[in-house]
Amino acid sequence: MAGKSGREISAVPEGGLKEKLLTWEGALILIFVAVNILGVIISPVYNATNVLREMPKYLAEAFMVFGMGYILVLGDIDISVGSIVCLSATMACFAGNAGLPFGVVVLVCVLTGLCCGMFNGLIATKFTELPTMIVTLGTQIVFRGIAEVSLGSGGSISMQNTEGLSLIAKKIGPFPISFFVLLIFAIVFITLLSKTTFGRKLYAIGSNQTAAKYAGINVQGSRFFCFSLLGFLSGVSALFLLSTLYGANTTTGNGFEMEVIAMCVFGGIATTGGKGNLIGGFIAAFIIFCLKIALGQRNINTQLILVIIGLMLIVSVVIPGLGSYFGAKKKSTTK
Amino acid sequence: MKKKVLGLLLAATMSIGMLAGCGGSGSADTSASTDTAATTEEAAPAADTSSEEAAPAAAASGEGKTYALVTKSAGNAFMELLGQGFKEAVEASGGTAIIKDPASATADAQISEISSLISQGVDSILVAANDENALQAVLQEASDAGIKILTVDSDVAANSRAVFVNQASTELIGQTLLDACYDIAGGEGQYAILSATSQATNQNAWIEAMKAAAEADSKYANLELVEVAYGDDEPQKSTDQTQALLEKYPDLKVICAPTTVGIAAAAKVLQDSGSSVKLTGLGLPSEMVEYIGEDDAHSCPYMYLWNMIDLGNLAGYTSVALVNGDLTGAVGDTYEAGSMGTFEVVDVNGATQVILGNPFKFDASNVQEWADKGM
Repeated sequence: MAGKSGREISAVPEGGLKEKLLTWEGALILIFVAVNILGVIISPVYNATNVLREMPKYLAEAFMVFGMGYILVLGDIDISVGSIVCLSATMACFAGNAGLPFGVVVLVCVLTGLCCGMFNGLIATKFTELPTMIVTLGTQIVFRGIAEVSLGSGGSISMQNTEGLSLIAKKIGPFPISFFVLLIFAIVFITLLSKTTFGRKLYAIGSNQTAAKYAGINVQGSRFFCFSLLGFLSGVSALFLLSTLYGANTTTGNGFEMEVIAMCVFGGIATTGGKGNLIGGFIAAFIIFCLKIALGQRNINTQLILVIIGLMLIVSVVIPGLGSYFGAKKKSTTK
Repeated sequence: MKKKVLGLLLAATMSIGMLAGCGGSGSADTSASTDTAATTEEAAPAADTSSEEAAPAAAASGEGKTYALVTKSAGNAFMELLGQGFKEAVEASGGTAIIKDPASATADAQISEISSLISQGVDSILVAANDENALQAVLQEASDAGIKILTVDSDVAANSRAVFVNQASTELIGQTLLDACYDIAGGEGQYAILSATSQATNQNAWIEAMKAAAEADSKYANLELVEVAYGDDEPQKSTDQTQALLEKYPDLKVICAPTTVGIAAAAKVLQDSGSSVKLTGLGLPSEMVEYIGEDDAHSCPYMYLWNMIDLGNLAGYTSVALVNGDLTGAVGDTYEAGSMGTFEVVDVNGATQVILGNPFKFDASNVQEWADKGM
């Protein structure tokens, strides 16, 4: 049913679709404001300084939202990103501890991510009959496995020379560097998806892969690109995560995949493909971060925070569904 | 149509806001009974201290101060007892206790909790570390904000904290556990270790101490350590690992599990299967009471542990002393730990520690009594 409604919506004229998306993002901004007001009400120490200070650890995750958004728009999914983060961070630590200059460490981190992403893309495009959920479930285990094997019995490695890492953990004014990098990435990837023909092709593939193929779109090429991109962004995430962790262990990045998918879905990107917008995912990421920070400052126990975020997610998926449900009902009665 | 959608969204926004609000008050109610978080009344002074912090106030007691504990993870009975003791000691000193249980037993999760405590401007943070190194940056940040840092149960790098509140010296635990294996195995044969996660600082230190003790004395020459298995402190994984050990080593005589989750899981496997393999290690009496006994019907003849409530108590008093300035964390420092008496900071391999005492032996004669005490 979800797939059906997705297809129906993509057939609606441009104006209607845009209007609907705009209202969802408008709602997200409202929710963002509401969460911040809530934060100020429930926590006396919820202010700009503290939120920005607690933000870097969360910001690292947000990089993956863009890549995951692309993958979801394509109608695919990638659940290996947490493991890619773990492997990239581990390799970066090995490179750093081998005495390589920090520039090389950054390269190792990002390229490890890229290679993992390309590997995902290769399998997903060569064996198109396999669901990507299963492909990336496999690579999730493989990537973390490689990290665990290289970490050995200790299961943990720390960066001996933290000079470079503390450099990227620095702040410009009250804002961490990762915030600016994230903004630049946001502008690039949001524009790429919403304003270019490449972006429109992704929506076309997500709406109907077969139709897109016969319309002359390089479906497998685009999928490969998006998987590689997500791998690359996971590497970037790993780098910024390292700047808060100063090391890696076998549990690094555990559960990131689900958090990132949650941000995208909350942002209005449908897992069925062809629907949604990165701006939504970007705002949703910040809603979740701010909510976590506010509830954390109020010393609410962490399981309950997860329950609240889970419920928010369900509500966000159900509400647009209700809209189209009533819409469809109205249509059928007028007929 | 557009109006309808907008209306729905607004309703959603409001309901989410309300939902989150409910969550807030709801948990404040539960926290009083579960001890997992500060209550409404306690949160207010926590905020106030952030503004006082700048002033070099040195009150004689813990009055008006806030002391935080970050445990390894939620749902760990061991950590709950530690928290209980910590809370008692802090409140006896007139302070406020905040206990944070991370959602998962990872360093990542602990960083978020510590970061939040820095925002709240607490006076001290006590951590049972999930990773020796990964907390370094965030603890440095906390130190820079004027917060006293100390560790309990599982240490971090010595330069990241003032002092480590240790349950018993690592060497002594290693020696005690090895002697238990030697005794139960009858002086020779194979034994295996079932640990928690492969990066748990304390587990690794104890295992190393066992190995070192085995090498130091030739009487252990016929005792063979066949494998160190990791059950990740998850009951299911610990069960699987125990079964794997039994299949792999048919001549196995003893399993030593220096973790409360592991020993409980292994005890059930061994007792249910009627295996001749015996078990020892570190376990909670309340979880192990049905498995402890000398006869063949029980899988564990005896085990060890320390009094976790006492450990929490000591950690609480140590937090108060650090914030007061009674204690700087230097070797040779002495301070009063409430009713527990005087403790001294000692140097163990270059790391400053306060040691609670010797491991305590639980066997069929006393396990029920301790289980009834809630331990």
